[in-house]
Amino acid sequence: MSEMWVNMGPQHPMTHGLWNLRVRIDGEIIVDVDPEMGYLHRGIEKISEDRHYNEVITLMDRTCYVAGMAWEHLYIIAAEDALHIEVPARAQWIRTLTDELQRIASHIMWYAAFVQDLGLMSPFLYGMRDRDLVLDLFQSFTGGRLTYEYNRAGGVRNDLPNGFTDQTRKVMDWLMERFREYDALCLGSEIFRRRCDGIGVLKANDAIPLGVTGPMLRAAGVRRDLRKDRPYAAYDQVEFDVALADAADVTARYLVRMEELRQSVRIVRQTLDWLDKNPGPVLADHLPRWLGAPYAPVGREGYLLKRNYPQGVGFSSVEEPHGEAQAYVVNTGGEHPYRVKFRSPVFANLGAAKQYMIGYRVADIPPIMGSVDICVGEVDR
Amino acid sequence: MAVTLLSVSEDLAGALLRGLASVLPAPLSGWIADPTLITVLAVLLFCAILLGASMINTIMLIWFERKLLGRFMDRRGAMHVGYAGLLQNFADGLKLFRKHTFRPKEADSLGYYSGPTAYMVTSIILFAVLPVSSGWSDGVLPLSLLLALAVFSFAPLFIFVSAWSSNNKYSLLGGMRSAAQMIAYEVPILLAVVAVVIVAGSFDLNVIVAEQQNYWFWGPLVVALVVFVAGMLAEMERIPFDLPEAEAELVEGWNTEYGGMLFAFFMLADYVRALIGSILVVLLFLGGWTLPTYVPAALTSFPLAGIAWFMLKTYLVFALFVWVRAALPRVRTDQLLRIGWMRMIPLSLLAIVLAAALVLVKCLPVFGCVPTMGG
Repeated sequence: MSEMWVNMGPQHPMTHGLWNLRVRIDGEIIVDVDPEMGYLHRGIEKISEDRHYNEVITLMDRTCYVAGMAWEHLYIIAAEDALHIEVPARAQWIRTLTDELQRIASHIMWYAAFVQDLGLMSPFLYGMRDRDLVLDLFQSFTGGRLTYEYNRAGGVRNDLPNGFTDQTRKVMDWLMERFREYDALCLGSEIFRRRCDGIGVLKANDAIPLGVTGPMLRAAGVRRDLRKDRPYAAYDQVEFDVALADAADVTARYLVRMEELRQSVRIVRQTLDWLDKNPGPVLADHLPRWLGAPYAPVGREGYLLKRNYPQGVGFSSVEEPHGEAQAYVVNTGGEHPYRVKFRSPVFANLGAAKQYMIGYRVADIPPIMGSVDICVGEVDR
Repeated sequence: MAVTLLSVSEDLAGALLRGLASVLPAPLSGWIADPTLITVLAVLLFCAILLGASMINTIMLIWFERKLLGRFMDRRGAMHVGYAGLLQNFADGLKLFRKHTFRPKEADSLGYYSGPTAYMVTSIILFAVLPVSSGWSDGVLPLSLLLALAVFSFAPLFIFVSAWSSNNKYSLLGGMRSAAQMIAYEVPILLAVVAVVIVAGSFDLNVIVAEQQNYWFWGPLVVALVVFVAGMLAEMERIPFDLPEAEAELVEGWNTEYGGMLFAFFMLADYVRALIGSILVVLLFLGGWTLPTYVPAALTSFPLAGIAWFMLKTYLVFALFVWVRAALPRVRTDQLLRIGWMRMIPLSLLAIVLAAALVLVKCLPVFGCVPTMGG
């Protein structure tokens, strides 16, 4: 059979979103790949320029629909940096907590989708079931299960409800047991190891120049985690280990993500202890009125404040569940950001597809692409 | 001679036509009660009963799988149509039936339509040769096992024809995988069957079941059983060997371009083959409709006891396939073929050697003695 191009996408079960992986195959062997993105472009960066600072948060939830809280956090750090706003300590700890809960939800979602691609149907549903518990937790203090709109410039919208910490501890205990089951179903399966070992290898030397970050980079043995290297929120005050593996293949990425799940549970438990002991405000005082809730009436002093408000630029980088996300916010003194720019980790991870896909088989595409943990929403933004 | 399905349908046809004849006026009644006509009607009735029973069983098999899979996955499966979702699959079938049958513009008409039809027909034909209990068919086919396996192995041809004629790259890839896989696993299946035939001394499924009076073959022929079950999983294209229709990479594999009733044909034929695979396992290794002799006679003497035990065993075997589906990921094409050619075939040869040794030794300490060769 001669070589042919196959369009895997934009409507294909493997894509997990709306993008197109063009694959040139010789029989079952992949000769060339060409990832095509842009089907889900919504112009989030441009829309942000017409919105109040707090209104952009709504868009952040929709940037990556499985890791909304992490993207809110990413944007809000940059916005606070640009607006020169200090955040109370309790809000920082709550953000650490929500970040890690989001990482758990996102990684479980990744697990479910990944094993589904391998043909494992039961763990897919186990994953969705367990992720639901985390979403329930989110719902209890934000009201949303997927799009939260919880962060605010200067802190978070509201404090955690009564009994939240106990409930979360219970969920964490439950999840730690389930993670063991996940491992038994995957690592304990000979077929899984045969499908994943030595597949999709992306060594550190190839990954770093291409800007690959996150679990994919750590699976190549690179000790790079922004929570350690450039701590934000309360990450410098919690104890956790950076998950590492060195095989750089699909199994290594699986191991890294499963270890990150366990470390996230560890962090969540520490933040819960801290939050129990340290009540306090969750939103900064003396915020400019025009930053307030969307469409709230803007008072006279609000406009005065805005005119006199200092200008500035804000930058943030956050270890999002998929990798290193970065945000850049320019404040020229208006009530809208002048420019907002994001860096999506998945965009870079997908862009390196040629490095880790050529030479493998068509049947290897689902595990390899699954191990990248694609979220097309943040790729196209 | 025990009551067979054919004799039942002959009685039925005779009663029907004679009843008609007694009502109708003179010349008509003579023609209608004609013995030839009765035989023709009996054969038609036989086929209708067989088709109806096999279709209902196939659809119930789908329900069984959905419910069982649901339990494995911590959910309940179909619940809303009928009691516990019993009618869900009938509703699904009706929906597919009402759909417009279409053909992609570039698809080859002959292959596109004849592929699924032939696949379906050759799958259903198999029910005619498989005995379900001692009163099902009276052993007129001395080579029924061989015939069943021969018809069973038509499938790759029709799958490949329908895949190729759909003119879709995914279909073509799926069809080629399917053909390679089925041909590779045909060999170990046949060799495993040879082990059974060596011990039973016959290709007649009735005789094979009768030979399992003393002990079922799964015990002494466990190697052959393992090979046969694994090969059947590959032949049925179920997880872990469902890569011809691996949805993650090939969308829906060789039936990507099919919709409506033609898709239903494929789906139904897949489950017909799953049912036949389970039936073959029961017939060859689990004693068919018989129970061990130490079981109280009350359990085997109630009416239709043979069919009841047979169905129970069949569904239990199918439950094993469902369990495998719930627990395992799918393998890769090259791994599948390597397992087939390099693991399964040596194992099945080993099974043949063991079977030959069993015939020589004649008696095993736990299981008892082989009946005399040729039964």
